Amino acid sequence: MPVTKPIMIALPKGRVAEKALELIQKAGIQMPPGDGESRKLVTTDVSGRYSFVSLKPIDIPVYVESGAIDAGIAGTDVLREQDAKVYEPVDLRIGRCRIAVAAPEGEPLPTNRMLRIATKYPRTAERHFKSRHSHVHIVKLDGSVEIAPLLGLADAIVDLVETGRTLKENGMVVVEEIAQVSSKLIVNRTSMKMKSADINNLISILDKVVYEDR
Amino acid sequence: MTRNVIGLPPGFRDLLFDEAESRRKVENSFAEVFTAAQYREIMPSGVEMLDVYTKGHQGALEKAFRFLDRDDNLLALRADFTPAVARIVAAGFRGTHDPLRIWYSGPVFRKADRLRGQFHEFNQVGAELIGVQTIDGDAELLDVALTGLVASGVNDACVHVSHAGIFRGIVRSLRLVGPALDKVKTEIDRKDMRGLADRLTELDNASGFKEQFQTLAGCIGGMEVLDRAERVLDNPESRKGIAELRMLASQLPDLGGRLVFDLTEIDEMEYYTGLMCTFFSPSHSGELGHGGRYDSLLKEFGADFPAIGFSLSVDRIAECL
Repeated sequence: MPVTKPIMIALPKGRVAEKALELIQKAGIQMPPGDGESRKLVTTDVSGRYSFVSLKPIDIPVYVESGAIDAGIAGTDVLREQDAKVYEPVDLRIGRCRIAVAAPEGEPLPTNRMLRIATKYPRTAERHFKSRHSHVHIVKLDGSVEIAPLLGLADAIVDLVETGRTLKENGMVVVEEIAQVSSKLIVNRTSMKMKSADINNLISILDKVVYEDR
Repeated sequence: MTRNVIGLPPGFRDLLFDEAESRRKVENSFAEVFTAAQYREIMPSGVEMLDVYTKGHQGALEKAFRFLDRDDNLLALRADFTPAVARIVAAGFRGTHDPLRIWYSGPVFRKADRLRGQFHEFNQVGAELIGVQTIDGDAELLDVALTGLVASGVNDACVHVSHAGIFRGIVRSLRLVGPALDKVKTEIDRKDMRGLADRLTELDNASGFKEQFQTLAGCIGGMEVLDRAERVLDNPESRKGIAELRMLASQLPDLGGRLVFDLTEIDEMEYYTGLMCTFFSPSHSGELGHGGRYDSLLKEFGADFPAIGFSLSVDRIAECL
């Protein structure tokens, strides 16, 4: 039998990291013992079939789309923002939250001038307001978006809302929901064809873990 | 002291020596194969009226590099070869009845997302067979493409084929249109089968079609997938598509496992009218190129000819070697 290279899979760092790893383990993919503390970038599972690398969630679609990595776990917030050309075969139902428009509570949004929106998701925000036939001015930020209205940089924000606590602490409320967000298994379009046995196995074990108890 | 050095615009590149040589070798290999198969070369203009890209496949339109000439005509750098071929054939060969065999190679320019590592300019080589509507034409073109790939050194190249009529037949019998059709296409394109099942549940009378879509989603492989698809598809258009793929296979017995039936893909742009094909190699992480039959495109240019063509990325072929 020819020696095949393991399938390379990107796992997200941060918010969804723990849930993602939990899913992988529930699916029966075993990591080598003692690897939790290791600072190695790439870890290969016991079977030698799958290798994992942890990346910033926002970087995962570009790795998978280009084929540098075969598959990964990415949120629909990032996938829609980047319009990534990848397959999304399984909704993993983790990292669930909403992407929404939020504004300071009790202050009506100005109607006599163009709205200023601060966001980490400029394309999503633009698409949303365009669909409402309203033209807005977008300010792209990289973090702590909820502070922008307080400091007068923007009138409202478009951001992820999980529990709503951060919003509340900053005196803001959700004005309108744009979309539900959830993490999906994503697969490179060529890997799906050229490495179909391993990829299809990955799809079916993850699908089973997520959906068998429903 | 800093000097202002004029560099290359972002998203473009120069190919020097080895890289240039490897591209040239690929083009030469294809030139030999095309000539042996009686295809004749054309060198279309590098600049087109932007309007050329409003017809047929519109993927090139929004990505074209555009500019004005001194009469304020809106022009574009070549963003796709096929519309150029259609324009040339419609203008010059309207009265002919003999099949035309055409090949081309050269750069194509599309505004790419360079921050995602893509270039705006890439080299293509391709061929079009015009005036032949039979499956012989489909088989001939696939054979030429794979022969060219092997001649260039991509011995492990394979082609995944499907037929536009298979999905179209289901869509027609479901009477699926507008936003509902778009949603179904999106889920199929994402390969999200549970998402697709949810979309179908939202539709009236669509539950009977779940089995058809689910079966197609697993239809990738040899002749057996055509049998499997045929068992669940009952509309004449889909069945005709499958029959045509069977005929195609019977005309290409030597390809063996290099001809893969892949009914999992759809033509989102609704551009193709028959065969659809995508070329891959296990040595490259992207597709090498694609093509298919587009019997209605030439009509948009004023000449009603059936046509089939493919284009391949010279850069990706060179990267396989």
